[in-house]
Amino acid sequence: MSDSAFPEEAHVSGFSATADRFSEAPLDLNELLVRKPAATFFVRASGEAMTGAGILPGDILVVDRSLPARSGAIVVAWVDGEFLVRTYRDEGGEIRLEPANPALSPVRLSDGEELRLFGVVTACVHRFAKPGSTT
Amino acid sequence: MIGLVDGNNFFVSCERVFDPSLEGKPVAVLSNNDGCVISRSYELKALDVPMGMPWFQLRKLVDRHGIVVRSSNYELYGDLSRRVIAVLREFSDRVEQYSIDEAFVHAAISDPEECLRFGREVRKAVLEWVGVPCGVGFAPTKTLAKIANHIGKKTPGGVYALPADPSPVLERIPVGEVWGVGRRLAPQLEAIGLRTARDLAEADEDELARRFSVVVARTASELRGVPAVDGAAAEPAQRSIACSRSFGRPVTEFEELRQSVALYLAEAAEKLRSERLKATSATVYCQFYPEYEPTRREGGADSVLVPFERPTSSTPELVKRTAPFLEAIFRRGRRYKKTGVILSCLDGDDGEQADLFADTRKEERADRLSAAMDRINGRFGKGTLFSPAQGIEKPWRMKRSFLSPAWTTNWDEIPEVR
Repeated sequence: MSDSAFPEEAHVSGFSATADRFSEAPLDLNELLVRKPAATFFVRASGEAMTGAGILPGDILVVDRSLPARSGAIVVAWVDGEFLVRTYRDEGGEIRLEPANPALSPVRLSDGEELRLFGVVTACVHRFAKPGSTT
Repeated sequence: MIGLVDGNNFFVSCERVFDPSLEGKPVAVLSNNDGCVISRSYELKALDVPMGMPWFQLRKLVDRHGIVVRSSNYELYGDLSRRVIAVLREFSDRVEQYSIDEAFVHAAISDPEECLRFGREVRKAVLEWVGVPCGVGFAPTKTLAKIANHIGKKTPGGVYALPADPSPVLERIPVGEVWGVGRRLAPQLEAIGLRTARDLAEADEDELARRFSVVVARTASELRGVPAVDGAAAEPAQRSIACSRSFGRPVTEFEELRQSVALYLAEAAEKLRSERLKATSATVYCQFYPEYEPTRREGGADSVLVPFERPTSSTPELVKRTAPFLEAIFRRGRRYKKTGVILSCLDGDDGEQADLFADTRKEERADRLSAAMDRINGRFGKGTLFSPAQGIEKPWRMKRSFLSPAWTTNWDEIPEVR
């Protein structure tokens, strides 16, 4: 087709008009991983306690504080001066924090001891770049 | 009703979210430059450590009482404050932030019992989602909500709603504790027999306006339950942006002074651009210490107002235009304590009248450069890119010896879980 019949500008504006009609915001990982931004925090896994659940050292965990801990959920809790990531088990009021690694034993709460829950882990971000690097 | 939500010992509570080992301990958060105590845990209050106690005094008590000290972690407090406001917005579509740890929440409920239920829900959500405890006080006006909040703090559960007839409550509150009545005004009110909040509520409004000011008359009206302090009117949209900090040590070199001013201009300009504003003038000021040798000279401050012919929000422009004025107020031999800048603005980017004869191309380029710098700094962290005038090493930067990590604003400092 000749340039005079279809000047280049006409092509460009014609295309963008069509594209505008179908335009959507690009996909955003925040939308996928963060349901409640005000209650969502990121932490970094440092140990091997949860390797069986797919959490490797250096992975970034998405933690939602607004969710209640249900038995079977992976949680972050404060135990003896440090934050642990474990599977929360509540069996008839007997509360356990279970590792997903046979080399470690579960943490049992003694009678009357209250679980100091930080939040529920909703996702794990594992990257194949060199571990520990954030950029 | 209006609910005033405020964080209990907010800065200490923020520190405890990511370091629960601080629970149950006396904790102090220090002001800029580790100057004095600005937030205290209940355990510290119980030791009779007053607000504002200088660090050099507190230091002597640290070992004896096992006091834990933190420098101000404004990155953390700012982030958690934003989160608290976001939670409040889940409960009400009219939330007015009043300070870093206070916000007014408007709720279409009038029954005090209903308010208490609502308040408990709000409190529970803030505690669960963000991790900081807060108090809530309900009343028909902001001034009364302040009082209700104050009472709420001393109530188990932290939530309080002012009764329909608040007179018996107001009777017990000294007039000086009423929001908006300052330390200077209180004795004047007491002198004419207005000793309590109730006295002020029952005083004649016209007479208050005549003898004192419209503000005092409005406060009286608010105490009677008639709203007179309008949030929008009381706090006009941001028209000036300030940025200042004290040096970590006395500064005597012009170059260091210049770098600090350039950094604060850059920070203020970034805020300016994020609000699509342009500065019509900048005030630059420098505080200096008193001198005793060789002759005694008072400490003080110098400032200079730099008006701009064309409003700007570009960092290099701001630095360039203020530099000669800073040079003019600099005095060799002075030991500088603090510098700061205040940008005053009039127009939004779009509302600005274009000067037909001015060469705008250079400014547009400067604007685009600044906007690009903001994007990169937003993406890769504050200070990734900066104007060379800000200096690369910042030996004068604020002293924060007991600073906790930027748990929520820096990927390299997020909490580790084992």
